[in-house]
Amino acid sequence: MTRVLAVGPLVVAGAYAAAVARLAAASAAAGHGLRGLAAEPLRRAALALVQQRLATERPDAASRALAPAVVAALAAVGLALVPLSRGWVVVDAGAGIVVWGSLEALAIAAVYLHGWSANSLQPLVAAYRFTAAGLTLLLLSMFVLIGVALPAQSLRLADVVDAQAGLWNVLRQPLGLPLFLVVALGITSWPPLDLAGGADLAGGTAAEASGPGRLAWTAARAALLAAFAAMGAAAFLGGWHGPWLPGPAWMAVKTAALLAVLAAAGVRLAGLRAEALVARGWTVLLPLAFADLAMAGLVAQL
Amino acid sequence: MTPDQAPAWADVGFWVFALAAVATGYRVFRTDSMVRSAFLLLASFLNVGAVVLLLGGRYLGVALVFMMTVEMTVMAIFMVAFMMNPAGLNPMSMVHQPRLAVVAGAGAFGGGVLLALLGEFPDRPRRAGADVIAALGSQLLGRSMLVFETVGVTLLAAMVGAVALSSRRSRFGGPADEGSLPPPLEPGGDRYPAGVVPEPAGGHGGHGGHGGHQ
Repeated sequence: MTRVLAVGPLVVAGAYAAAVARLAAASAAAGHGLRGLAAEPLRRAALALVQQRLATERPDAASRALAPAVVAALAAVGLALVPLSRGWVVVDAGAGIVVWGSLEALAIAAVYLHGWSANSLQPLVAAYRFTAAGLTLLLLSMFVLIGVALPAQSLRLADVVDAQAGLWNVLRQPLGLPLFLVVALGITSWPPLDLAGGADLAGGTAAEASGPGRLAWTAARAALLAAFAAMGAAAFLGGWHGPWLPGPAWMAVKTAALLAVLAAAGVRLAGLRAEALVARGWTVLLPLAFADLAMAGLVAQL
Repeated sequence: MTPDQAPAWADVGFWVFALAAVATGYRVFRTDSMVRSAFLLLASFLNVGAVVLLLGGRYLGVALVFMMTVEMTVMAIFMVAFMMNPAGLNPMSMVHQPRLAVVAGAGAFGGGVLLALLGEFPDRPRRAGADVIAALGSQLLGRSMLVFETVGVTLLAAMVGAVALSSRRSRFGGPADEGSLPPPLEPGGDRYPAGVVPEPAGGHGGHGGHGGHQ
């Protein structure tokens, strides 16, 4: 029961790590040093707290407040599902992979509510295009995650990690991790796939958000991205398995590495418009996910 | 539960989730926006999912959450898209045909109550530690496979058909609505919505005859 208390610090640490990774990738790409980056997220958060607050005409105030809270709660559920070490997981769900799928679906609904509730044009447009892309990515994620359940013959995440003792899933199913990272960027609306945000729509669903509301929205998505990275580490990079270091240290290293890869993608890769992402999602990414699942099934039969 | 027992947490949870499911289900029809209505219905389903989880349906409860979230999000989107209500934030009534709805609702509720009181339900308590997820999987891909796959393929065909019908592009590459005409403003009248120019009688026969939309 006391393990539940670990979720709060995990969410805060995850959001902070995702924010630092994003700043560091941008700074490194611009040729600046990494000095002072550790305090930068805190400085920006403090600024946001004292920033002026704007209101729109007749918003749905309850949904507006609920959306970041739901995303943060989903990040907490995600981090609670992922086993951090052998036998150490906050919630040992028998159908952990299906719970993860529900979490992604609820995150899409929360982003839609965030954009809709402002009663404003750009946020609504962003909510629509995000949902179209999000539902496509949700399908991808299902096939990829069923793939990791096959060698384990279980939907329980601890079994999925256990089954990677000899060979990590990233080698057994090489298409799985890249596809899962695309899903992570898309559903958390993180650059380069920030369809719910983005400068082209004046900030997207957050166009009318300011001060604490904007801070909560960004921080909640950062925490969710960290949950995705932890899930990627457990499902594809062997979780707690590794030589010399203890299990939780390996999980931290692998999660941080995935966060660094995601942040670098935000700097190095170009974004896609929603139509282009949906079209490529159905014609390229989804067939790749089928291929991944077929390959996973064949390898699991050997 | 006998009176001398302290209520177990599962019982408390059952009543909390069950009452919340009914309350949010009631609010679906008392709110004034399509989107609020859709997400209140989602809240009701999430509470039902929690009740199913409490009843030991470890997979079914989560699957209910998963399916209903996607379904209600899609429903909210299409309702806003097809309603004459910009963004679904203008107040509007969520009920239509209220008298018929009351009769149908009372009838369905009465039927459910009769079924609960008079029906015979199987009484096979689950063994502790039984793997319900594996049992469900063997059922779906074993004895019930024919039913399951028939429904699945039928739904898939319906989805492909719906996408084909709603596609803007026709089978021959041009716009699918080429040569088609919306109905006149009054039945049998000759006034059309703004921007629609009806062709002379007998003139809209062939596809691409005038190359109008190229």
